[in-house]
This record gives sequence, C-alpha cells and structure tokens, in this order.
Amino acid sequence: MTPIDPAGKLPRHLLGALFYSWTWRMAWRDSRTQRKRLVIFSLSIVAGIAALVAIHSLKATVESGIATQAKALLGSDLQISSRQPFPEEKVKEIAALAQSISRETSVSSMLYFASADSARLVHVRALEGGYPFYGKIETAPSQAWERMQMESGILLEPALLDQFQVKVGDRVKLGSVELPILGTLKKGAPTSGRFSGFSPDVYVRLPDLERAGLLSRSSLATYRLHLKLDERITKKSGLDAQPAAAREIRTRFNDSHWQFETPESRRNSLGDSLDNFQQFLGILALVALTLGAIGVAGAIHAHVSRRVPTVAILRCLGCPGNLAFGIYLAQAIALGLLGAVAGAALGIALHSAVITLLRESLPIAVNAIPSAVVVLETTAAGFIVCCGFALMPLFRVRDISPAATLRQTASRSPGARLRTGIIFGLLAAMLTLLGAMGGGSWSRSLMLTGALAVAFLILAGIAAALIVVTRRVIRPSWPYVVRQGISNLYRPQNQTLLFLLSLGLGTFLLLTVLLIRNSLFERIRVADPASSPSLYLVDVQPDQLDGVRAVLKERHLPELESAPIVTMRIESIKGVPIRELEAAEDETESDGKARFNQSQNKIPKWVLQREYRSSYRNELSATESIVVGQWFSGAADPNGAVPLSLESEIAKDLHVTVGDEMVLDVQGIPIRARIANLRKVDWSRFNLNFFMIFPPGVLESAPGFHVITTRTPGSSGELQRALVTQFPNVSAIDLTLILETVGSILERIGRVIQIMAAFTVVAGIPILVGTLLNGRSQRFRESVLLRTLGASSRQVRRIFLVEYATLGVLSAISGVILAVAANAALALFVFKASPWPDPWLLLAGLATASGLSVAAGVVLSRGVSNHPPLQILRGDQ
Amino acid sequence: MKSFVPAQSPADVHRQGETKAILEIHDLCKTYGDAGHELTVLKAINFTLQTGDTCAIIGPSGSGKTTLLGLCAGLDDATSGSVRLDGTALETLDQDARAALRNRLVGFVFQSFQLIPTLTAIENVLVPLELRGESGRRKDAVDILKRVGLGDRLEHYPLQLSGGEQQRVALARAFVHPPKILFADEPTGNLDAETSAPIVEMLFELNRESGTALVLVTHDLGLAVRARRVVKMRAGMIVSEESHDAH
Ligand SMILES: Nc1ncnc2c1ncn2[C@@H]1O[C@H](COP(=O)(O)OP(=O)(O)O)[C@@H](O)[C@H]1O
Ligand SMILES: [Mg+2]
Repeated sequence: MTPIDPAGKLPRHLLGALFYSWTWRMAWRDSRTQRKRLVIFSLSIVAGIAALVAIHSLKATVESGIATQAKALLGSDLQISSRQPFPEEKVKEIAALAQSISRETSVSSMLYFASADSARLVHVRALEGGYPFYGKIETAPSQAWERMQMESGILLEPALLDQFQVKVGDRVKLGSVELPILGTLKKGAPTSGRFSGFSPDVYVRLPDLERAGLLSRSSLATYRLHLKLDERITKKSGLDAQPAAAREIRTRFNDSHWQFETPESRRNSLGDSLDNFQQFLGILALVALTLGAIGVAGAIHAHVSRRVPTVAILRCLGCPGNLAFGIYLAQAIALGLLGAVAGAALGIALHSAVITLLRESLPIAVNAIPSAVVVLETTAAGFIVCCGFALMPLFRVRDISPAATLRQTASRSPGARLRTGIIFGLLAAMLTLLGAMGGGSWSRSLMLTGALAVAFLILAGIAAALIVVTRRVIRPSWPYVVRQGISNLYRPQNQTLLFLLSLGLGTFLLLTVLLIRNSLFERIRVADPASSPSLYLVDVQPDQLDGVRAVLKERHLPELESAPIVTMRIESIKGVPIRELEAAEDETESDGKARFNQSQNKIPKWVLQREYRSSYRNELSATESIVVGQWFSGAADPNGAVPLSLESEIAKDLHVTVGDEMVLDVQGIPIRARIANLRKVDWSRFNLNFFMIFPPGVLESAPGFHVITTRTPGSSGELQRALVTQFPNVSAIDLTLILETVGSILERIGRVIQIMAAFTVVAGIPILVGTLLNGRSQRFRESVLLRTLGASSRQVRRIFLVEYATLGVLSAISGVILAVAANAALALFVFKASPWPDPWLLLAGLATASGLSVAAGVVLSRGVSNHPPLQILRGDQ
Repeated sequence: MKSFVPAQSPADVHRQGETKAILEIHDLCKTYGDAGHELTVLKAINFTLQTGDTCAIIGPSGSGKTTLLGLCAGLDDATSGSVRLDGTALETLDQDARAALRNRLVGFVFQSFQLIPTLTAIENVLVPLELRGESGRRKDAVDILKRVGLGDRLEHYPLQLSGGEQQRVALARAFVHPPKILFADEPTGNLDAETSAPIVEMLFELNRESGTALVLVTHDLGLAVRARRVVKMRAGMIVSEESHDAH
C-alpha cells in the first residue's frame, strides 16, 4: 500500500502546472529581482521577431511588386496564342472565366512608304479590348491611341519615321489600304521580345487589317487572347502564385494548337536573380531566427542557473518537478508573448519605414502596412521557435535536485542527453518547416538547417577541445593575470561553450549574410542589362556583314556579338517522324489534363512544330556551359550524322539526350544530327543564344543570314536610318524597353537585399552583446573575492580582459572560418558566384566580434570596482 | 546554564497509542564518485527514530552527517539500504512522490537558512501551505512569524534580514504546518552564540508543542545534549549512541 496519494493536490503534469494559478503567482514573484535581466530575454525575442516580420513582410511586398511588374511584361494574366482563329463558342467560354478579355490579330507584312518609295517588313498588330491590362500604351501625340480606336490610321515606332523620313499625318500603304500615320509609339504593348519575328511592331484597327486583305493568307497570322483574371490564387503563394482561373483555363482548353503564356514565364528574363533573392531571404530569416533563439537560450540559461537554489528549496518543501518547471516556463511564455507582440509591432514599423523611404524609387504602388496574415504567421512561427529554444535550458529546472539545498551539486539526470537530442531534432524540424513554408523548397530548407546544425556541432566541438587544451597548456611560469584569465576557460562554470555558441555562431551567421550579399551583388551586376545588347540587327546577308560593321564603326558603336543563323524544323526524333509524335500526343490529350503534366512522356506540340533559328560556331559563349557530353572536337564526319549541341531544357522537352539522333529539315534538305552535348543557357542575358548549335562546316552552304548585336547609348533611330538606306533588308530590333524593365526590377532586388542584410546585422549584434553579459554574475563574485583577497582593480580588470579577449578572438576566428566555408558552399552550389570572400569583410568581422567581446570584458570589470563587495558576497545580484 | 526542556518521550507516545517508528534506516550506504574514484561516505547505517522522539547527530566535519540527513529526507538517493519515513520506503518512490511525502511530513532547517530570495518573509512561510494547495492560511503564517518575533518584518526580503532573523523565518516556515519530523542541519552553524540561543529555544519549544520528531545535526555538544538521544558518527559510521530518558 502506498500511504500517500501520488497525485496529491498539486498538478504533477506540465499542462496542469500551467493552468494552476499558483504557478503564475510564483512566476511573477520570482521575476521580482530579475526583471531587468529578463528584459534581455524579451529583447532577443523582440529583435528576432522584428527582423523576421520585417523580412517576410518586405519579401511579400517586393514579390507582389515584382509580380505586378512581371505582369507588365506580359500585359495580362494569361495569354493564349494560336495560328488559327479562335472558335467563337470557345472564346465565349473563356470570356466567362475571365474578368476582361482582349483579342489580338497580328500578321507580318510589308509596309510601303510611298514618299520614300520603299517598303519594310513590319509586324502588324490589331488589338481589341483593354489590353494591355497592366502597363499602358504611350504615344506621341498622347491621344493617338484613343484616336486610332475611332478612326482608321496606323501607329509606328519612331525609328521608322526617322528611317523613311515621314511624319505624323503622312500616309503609308498596308496591303490594299492606305492609312494615315496617327502618331508614334513611346511605349507599345508588351511583346515576347526576341522571338517576335525580328520586325518592328505597328498598330492598326482590326477592321483596317481585314480591309487590307492580309488575313487571307491565314497561315501567317497569329491570333491571341489576352485575359485579365480574378486575383484569387491557388495554393502556391508568392512569386509562383497563379490565378486559379488560369489553371482552369489551361486544363479546360487544353488544345494542342494553343500556346499559353503567363507572367511567370515572362519572368524568366530576370534569370536567377529572383530565385537567388528568395534564397537569400530564406537564409536571412533563418539567421534572424537563430540569433533570436541564441539570445533566448542564453538568457534563460543564465536565469535558470541563478535559480538553482530557489528550485532546490521548492523541491525540498515538496514541489513536484513539473510544477517548478511550470513556474519558469510560465515566465518564458509571458515574456515571449510580450516580446513577440513588441517584435511584431517593431517589424511592422520597420517595414513601413523602409517602404516610405523607398516609395520614390519604387516604380509600383506598394502598401506600407504589411499583410496581416504574413505578420501573424511570422510572429507565431518566431514565437514557437524562440520558446522551443527556451525549453532546452528550462528543462534543467526539472533536474535540479533538492539535495542542492545541502551543498552545491551538479546533478544531471540520465535522460538529459536523449532529451536534448530530441529537442534539437524537433527544433531543426521546425526550422526546416519554416524555411519550406515561405515558398522555398524542402531540400534547400533541409540543407540550410543541416548546415546550421553542423556549424553548431563544430562550434560545440571547438569549445570542448578548448577546455581540454587550455587545461593542458597552462604553465605556472605564466604571469598571474594571464594564468588566471586563461584558466577561466576551463574552470567549472566557464563561459567557453557559451561564447562559441553565441559569439562564434553569431559571427558565422552575420558574416555569412554579408558575404552572400556581396555574391548576390556580383551576380546582379553581371546580369545588369546595362551591359546587355540593346539592338539586334537581323537579316544581315553574308555579303553585307562588312558593310554593316563599317556603319557601326563609324558611329563608334560596339559589335557585341554576331552569329550566322539558319532556320530549320524538326523532321524526326530517334527515327520517329514528327507527325507520329503529334498524333500520339493528340490521343493522350483527349483524356484531359495530360498536357501540363511534364512527368508524363509528352512532348509539347509547339516544341515539335516550332521553327528553330540555329547557329554554328566552334566555341561556347560566356553565357553557356556544358552540362552533359563534350563540346565539338575535330572535324565533322561528312558521311555520318552531324554533331549537334542542344540546349538542356529543350532536350528535356524533346526527351532526348547525348547520343540520340534527330533529322532536321533545313529548308527542304534533311540533315541527320546526333546530339553531342547538352548546354545550359542563361537566358536572362539578352545575348545571342540558340537552342541548337552546329559545328562549322555543315550549314555554311544553307541559305541563312547573320545577326549582329550592338548597344546604342540613346535612340537607335539615326543608326536604323543609316542602315536602311544602305541595306534595306536589314531589320533592327530595339530591346531598350524590356531592358529598362528588367533593370529596374534588379535594382530594386539589390536595394532590398541591402536593407534586409542591414536589418539582420543590426538586430543580431545587441542579442549577442546581451548573451555575453549573461555570464557576468559568476565572474563578479569571483572578482570580488579576489579583490577582498587583495587583488588590485587593475589586476582584476586584466584577468577579465585576458579571458574575454581570448574567448572573443577564438570564437570570432571559428565563426569567420565557418562563414568562409558556408559562403563558398552557397556561392558554388546555390548562387553560382565566386566562392572567394572579400578579405576586408572577413577582417572587419573578426575585429568587430573580438571587439565586442573585449568591450564586454571591460564593461564588466569596471562594474566590479563599482560594486560594494559585501553586497555581492551576501548574494545580492 | 540553559534550562533543560525534555522532549516528548517514546513512553508518552506509547501512552497515546502504539509505538510507531517515524524513521527507520537499514544498512544505508552512500558512495560518491564513479568507478576508480569511489568515496564511501556512509557505511551500513542502521537507525530507528520513534514518533515524537528527538535525536542529535554529532561528529567531526566530513563524517557524513549532512549526507545522512539528506538521505533520510529523500533529498538524495542511497547507494544501497533503505529509508522508511512514516512507514513508506523512500527508495520505492519517485522524486515527485518523495516531494509530496516531504510536504506532508517533513520540515527543514538548514545551516544556510535557504529562504527563497525573491519572496518576502511572509511569502516564504506561506510556500509550504501553498504547496499543499491550502490558500487562505495567511493568518497562520502571520501568527507563527509573530511567535518567532518577526511580526513587524512580514514584508521584508531575506536580504533585508540578519542571519538570525532569516533562521527564524526558516523556523516559522518549518512549523507553519507542524511536520511529523524535522530535520535540522547545524541550524546555528552560521550564527553567533548570542543569536543562536533564542533560536534554539524556539526550535525546541515549537517541536515539543507539535509533537514533532527531531533529527538535529550539530557539532555543538551543548546543543546536542538537549536531544533525548545523541548519536555520534565518524567516517560514515555510527560509533556510539547515548540516550537519557526524561523519566
Ligand atoms: N557530491 C559529492 N561528491 C563527492 N564527495 C562528496 C559529495 N558530497 C559530499 N561528499 C563527501 O562526503 C563526505 C561527507 O560529507 P558531509 O555529509 O557533508 O559531512 P558532514 O556534514 O558530516 O560535514 C565528505 O568527505 C565530502 O567530501
Ligand atoms: Mg554538514
């Protein structure tokens, strides 16, 4: 029989303890002498959560800004293109799903300038409806666009006016009609840029296009539907958000002759920058959270250490372990909540401040108040992680033995190691989950958490090694203060682990952030469209090359690139004719959603049917790299298959790889090609890049033309005029507009990266300082004892300095080395940047971290002289 | 010379009912340290204390007195042997069950007072009651503090009290709900003789009134002889025992 009721009247379970009013009363009373110190705990949470909220809010704001701007690159939420007119009943069905619908019919045709008695191939676009829904067409005179909706007329690019010496009001001939020039375009409707057909856009009304008789040759016309859709999005958030309606339309009207385009696909012109940006934010959020967690764990650890006697007394008087634990958990929860609320408020304020500061330079309207959902989610997640980190030191409360009332004992329950392991595991899982939550990928998030865990273990290992090593190397012959200071590294209650896990980890995290920021800037600079070509000169015949080059040279314009181009179509893949592949495709399409499911073995029809502008050369360009196979070597075998270099994405679409054969139809002549290698192309650069590249010696005799790219500082009108008089067949494509858009997005990304990195550093340093100051009470007591034993305050100060400087420098060095490694890994595998860090930044990081530690030592040692020894010896902290 | 206050004798208890041991110790051993560096602090202690009886443990410093006391109160785990407190074998209980048992039966007075520094005198005294789930007994706490002469220091924190005053608060805390057994580890060890005297008086007075059994560790022989039994320890063993019955 057990004479006592083990349940008793007291809650013996943690949950029960938390709902027991005495727990909270004790928590409140217990905080009495510690409120200032507990503020450090709260401040860590405030700083961590403020940074987290600001980062996530800014991320959301910037993403929506970029998404809007990317929409402006397409002008709509969804664009459907077809070579056949759209059946009316399908248009009706689609219109029912869209908020607005706009039609476009376009055709390439010659435009005849009677006054100059010359003609030019143009891309005629007839728009009906409100397109573009995002962005605006701008003309000179400004109301020309509106005028064109009412009366017959045509709008041209100003370069054409320059080129043919015509002016607004003059008449030009399009097909069988004559139209007055109503104005020029300052900014046209979005186009798909380099694949639009290499001829300048002109705009007319649809009735005029029909009257001109150009649509009878229907094979040359393109029909488009531009849709503005309901903003409601599907489950994916952030940049991958896609209106639910777009998804539905894409699956419902899964016609193989239709090609769909979303703003997302246009964003590819931003290249890796966006992806890198999101990666960076993920890392920043992880860093902010980890720093907050370090602060929290450090503060709670120090608090619990001070509370060992109190807990021992409570246990002696009959308090169950979980109830004592509950008291301190209650404190942590209360302070955590306060800190979280304050942090969220501060985060919102920071976000608003940044947005207000940047409003001038942001080309789009953004809201200064971040989304409530983002703030709530982030705060809750941050709060949970911080409390999770507080749990680790808090669990020690349960292990405090009542025997500590009789003498100081360091008891450690046997399950502690396992429990610590489990908590660490859960925390790592939580961080991974958080990383994956914000639209990141699981594997990347897991990789980051894993790296963090490894860094953590390495630092803990260094601390353990340091404790062993210092004990060994210390020599009685050393000066007293040095011996004293160094032996503080291994004595009981040493701060070695604390320093490495706070200052070391903090240096590692913050320095990594700064190093990555540099890598990203480097990448953005490389992707900067200011160095991209802005003008493509197309259709240059081989015998005109020298002439065109001379024209460029006269004007001191650079010839950035030039390439021969031969157009071709695919005839068969691995022996299977295209017709059969298409037929196979049609069969599977009848059963619904197959088309967008890439995992199934379907080749998108447009990939099969498109015309490939291919080139031939002997070397890789700067924006390409081989991913599979080898670049061409030696001369091609004149009798066998021709080696072919294929772009890796298109190879994926075609389901071919190195060694496979394709037959290409080069303007009527079949050419057998064997894939020699797969190339990865950075399409974000507006350089000349091709899906298919052949070695020299194969296509030279095929009819083709050359493309030359250059960059004009201002308007390209004069150059175009000069070219057309000498080489009427050469077309010029001006990319200035799209380059400007991309440039402004990249610039904004750069600015936000800068600000967020600064946030994190500014929030992180106070947390680290607070953590370093946590260890002071122990050192205080010892120093006061030393002073009563006759040590001068100078000696005490020096002992402090030796300890804090040694720990600071060693932690800083460890952190810097880890940061260099992390930066190299991230640069190589994630950001594709140079793995070499900026040595000045490393030195600055080393100096700052060591300096912080030394400063903490100095401040603390001064405190010793100011404190009456008696007060400390009596236990007043 | 101090007046001798006789403790309640087992005979008294016997008259009230059957004699019952409040504390029974069998072959109690305690070894510190790990293999290789073992230090046996208690070597097969056997000891029984009847309800209401008083016993002083004396011995040189390091002989294991405090260790024994800690084991008796279930503050620590024995290496072997058993401790029965009011009939319950402590080694069969987990930490929390032992804590509950302490709360019901045991009072403590420590050499270093062991008041909770963040609580006022009155709050410190209230803790054992609160831990019993008994709120609303503030008046009892005030009364006992008045008894120990601290009626005007209720709201003072331990740091604002002298050592003697702190020990009186500790006494009040031990007796606010009279325990069946009180463990006192050198209760006057940190106090001068002048301060000690009234505290010792109070201790025995409260003890007698409530019929509490007492285990008193001390190296003060003058104090030790006030207990009915005096047990002498050396090097982890009980080397002799004297008892002087009041009757
Ligand atoms: N945690 C411990 N680890 C190792 N030895 C201990 C520990 N606690 C006490 N001892 C040793 O046990 C012996 C008895 O200590 P203690 O019971 O405090 O003696 P007393 O109270 O009689 O002075 C001492 O030699 C002491 O050094
Ligand atoms: Mg002792």
